[in-house]
Amino acid sequence: MTRPAPRTRARMRTRRDALIWAALILLGATLAVLYVLAGREPLPLDEVAAVLRGETVPGTSFILLEDRAPRLVVGALAGAGFGASGALFQRWLGNPLASPDVIGVGYGASAAAIIAMVYFHAQGPLLTLTAMLGGLGIAGLIYWLSAGGKHAGAKLILAGLAIGGMLQSLIQYLLTRTDVRTAGEALRWLTGSLAPSTWERAAVMAIGLALVALLVPLVLKRLKIMELGDDAASALGLNVLASRMLLVFTAVTLTAIPVAVTGPLAFVAFLAGPLSAGLTRGVIRVPLAALIGAVLVLGANFIAANLFSGVALPVGVVTGIFGAPFLLWVLVRANSRGNGG
Amino acid sequence: MAQLQADSLTLAYDKVTIVDELSLEIPTGEVSIIVGANGCGKSTLLRALSRLLKPAGGQVLLNGADIHSRPAKEVARQLGLLPQTPNAPDGITVRELIGRGRYPHQGLFKRFSAEDEAAVARAMEMTGTTELAERAVDELSGGQRQRVWIAMALAQETELLLLDEPTTYLDVAHQLEVLDVISELNRTRGITVVIVLHDLNLAARYADHLVALKDGKIYAAGHPTEVVTEQTVKSVFGMPSRVIPDPVAGTPLVLPIGRHRVLRTETVLAARGIYRAEQNGATVVAEEEELVGAGVAVGSAGSPAGTGAASTFEPAPALGGVRPNLEHQSTLAFATTVLRCKQLAPNFRRITLTGSDLEHFGTNSHPLDMRIKLMLPPAGGQLPALVQQLRPQAGTDPETQGRWFLQWRELPDAERGYMRTYTVRDFRPAGHAKNSGTTPELDIDFVVHGHKVDGVFRGGPATEFCVNAAAGDDVLILGPNNQLNDADYGGIEFRPGNATRVLLAGDETAAPAICSILESLPSTVTGHALIEVPDSTDILGTTTRSGVSVQWLPRGTNAHGTLLSTALRQIVAIPAAGAVQTTAEPDDVDVDTQLLWETGEGSSGPFYAWIAGEAGTVKELRRYLVRDAGLDRKQVAFMGYWRAGRSEN
Repeated sequence: MTRPAPRTRARMRTRRDALIWAALILLGATLAVLYVLAGREPLPLDEVAAVLRGETVPGTSFILLEDRAPRLVVGALAGAGFGASGALFQRWLGNPLASPDVIGVGYGASAAAIIAMVYFHAQGPLLTLTAMLGGLGIAGLIYWLSAGGKHAGAKLILAGLAIGGMLQSLIQYLLTRTDVRTAGEALRWLTGSLAPSTWERAAVMAIGLALVALLVPLVLKRLKIMELGDDAASALGLNVLASRMLLVFTAVTLTAIPVAVTGPLAFVAFLAGPLSAGLTRGVIRVPLAALIGAVLVLGANFIAANLFSGVALPVGVVTGIFGAPFLLWVLVRANSRGNGG
Repeated sequence: MAQLQADSLTLAYDKVTIVDELSLEIPTGEVSIIVGANGCGKSTLLRALSRLLKPAGGQVLLNGADIHSRPAKEVARQLGLLPQTPNAPDGITVRELIGRGRYPHQGLFKRFSAEDEAAVARAMEMTGTTELAERAVDELSGGQRQRVWIAMALAQETELLLLDEPTTYLDVAHQLEVLDVISELNRTRGITVVIVLHDLNLAARYADHLVALKDGKIYAAGHPTEVVTEQTVKSVFGMPSRVIPDPVAGTPLVLPIGRHRVLRTETVLAARGIYRAEQNGATVVAEEEELVGAGVAVGSAGSPAGTGAASTFEPAPALGGVRPNLEHQSTLAFATTVLRCKQLAPNFRRITLTGSDLEHFGTNSHPLDMRIKLMLPPAGGQLPALVQQLRPQAGTDPETQGRWFLQWRELPDAERGYMRTYTVRDFRPAGHAKNSGTTPELDIDFVVHGHKVDGVFRGGPATEFCVNAAAGDDVLILGPNNQLNDADYGGIEFRPGNATRVLLAGDETAAPAICSILESLPSTVTGHALIEVPDSTDILGTTTRSGVSVQWLPRGTNAHGTLLSTALRQIVAIPAAGAVQTTAEPDDVDVDTQLLWETGEGSSGPFYAWIAGEAGTVKELRRYLVRDAGLDRKQVAFMGYWRAGRSEN
């Protein structure tokens, strides 16, 4: 048997990538449709069609347009943001554990958002901005704690785990200080939920993410050089420090914008990157990871709504339950390959 | 052509200076290889040359301009670097990785161009990685992977290529594979190459220009045949070696000489179930019946010139009055304290002495068989002031002090005390790797002879001292003043000259001296050492980096000296009749009344023998070696350390 010529094989890979993209988009769409039409409290197809034609159907119109549709949009956007952010961090540090939800950047954004909401009654874009600043602040702190030396990557992850734990405690403390109504809403900062989705919030997210997405190609170009190691990158003429700042800013922003709305959806950022690498049998792909993140959240949303007949679980609980075993698997695999933490 | 040079470059990490005021010009179009011990600064230097490290002083010039004054991308188009441990992202293919070497040629929004494609293809072809293009880098062998990295650096299309230990973690075949690829690039494309390399032999083989770095400075630079010498290897790597022409390439080949050579005899002994009692231990010395006057003994017992008597006292300047001893007494009295005692074997006991006086002790050279005097006070008394005033800090009149020994001899027995001769087993100045204290340490190995009477140990004064010594005991020794003595000190007899074969023979009293000499011998010396000891349990083992084979001869019930004599006859055979004119009978020495002490005055011959121990045995061996075997007496040192049945003084 002869090996296919390199050119042919490269083309084959491109075709396979296209197939993967198409399959994932189809899967996401299916999950969205299923969420609307099947499962608990399904909406009748004809009524949905009517609503989509612009007619007003009592009940169905409200449920579809004011609840389910914004949820799907916010969920997909959040998943994409988390997925891209996680993939950037993971590729930069060459370690799947280095995702913003594991290293505490997500909780940094959460904590800042809670403080802004509880003490300053912040809403909308201001809340998003605060979450972003919180995430960036924590990223800066972790970076400063681990800076220098050979094993900056491993140190950064360990410092991040510790900071993340502290932040969770801080969030819990903040929740005990708030009145019951606010606390109920603020609980989403711990578990993550799509319940607060509105069109307005979806719009804020969409605009924010779109702006940051403009930076992604620049970051990716530098990331390809940075991941060869600091010395090799410098030798290729890259300004390593500036590139690193740009990457951290982009990745943190990508995670902080969704956090301001949904809270941290556990493990979405962590899962998307390795899944993209697994599907293409190559390196972690940031755009693909964004798509996978969106599909993951849509899937979790469907499960959360239908797992138990009586209760609708917050989406973050579902991603947590299904993400944790994967984290264990990554740890075991990393351990056996000797490049863990 | 791109030119790279360092101009009085000083490099430091966190204020620790690694490279100091180094100037270096990289020959254009040649392969330069930088070698040096771990931590000598070679990788740091390479980082600075490639703009990765900003110098604390001086500058790196690329085509005459400071490398830091130019944009990183522009430098990267002229100078490529392969760091020691670049990181291949998980799952990346060979082509993708090599393509990343094009980064410095790409604009902000420019996509991968046809020109980039062509550069990658060329780089793959030159490194033989075209076949691997679509493979994942993690699946490759070490050598293939390193070739891929080199290809990435080549895709950068620079005129200068710097590589930091490109052969680390590779097996020998892959090391050659990588270096061959680099060498070929240099020959065919004229790329100027700078490599930091660990392996001296490979460096000597592949370098056009070799730079040996030591402690951040250039120790030697030039063609490998000029740079790679035994002296350079010794200085740069701190390792003794032989350098011979490489039978394959004709370049210098370094053969390292390890420090722990397992001696054949040891294997033999082990087979008989005899193991060394102590790792580094050697042996014995003197017991109470020594005849030898040395150091200060002024030839009183008929000691011939060369035992040190002549050089003991410097001619005193005609100055009246007292002067510090350090300035004019070549032999000083050192007040010391027993640091520890160690029973090396049933008949051997090591006493380690220390004290601040010892800072002035020695000859600034290896002690070899250096003799010292142990001054023991008379029973229940003190040492006379005559001896005490020879301490380093004291002062004496150079005019009269020369006569102290005769004066001391005339003192009544009850006041005089005892003088006993021993050889130095080891001397470790403060700061020596095995001396953790703040003052120097002196090891003396004693032969313990004597027995218990009514539960109390009886023997000569030195043996009693040795057996009863405990840490903290004070003891006074006489020995060389290190301000006035060098390696020619008269208390040292081992003078092999240029001899490359040696014979060392002696009984237990000579064993410490033999062991000490063995430790000093360079690798170029071969020969035999014979040591007769009372019992097989007294075999202690030795360390030497020389090719001398050591044979311990446990005496058991044999008469003293018979085993030594037999073994020596096997090594030095009588030449066939007529082949060599044997020398006449040596002058007779009555070993019971006279000192047998004949030391050659440094022969230039290839063979040298050193025989010491009981005077009767030494005399017998002397007769055999000089009369029967026809050895030139200049090549041999005969030393009667003691005489059975007589005591020193």
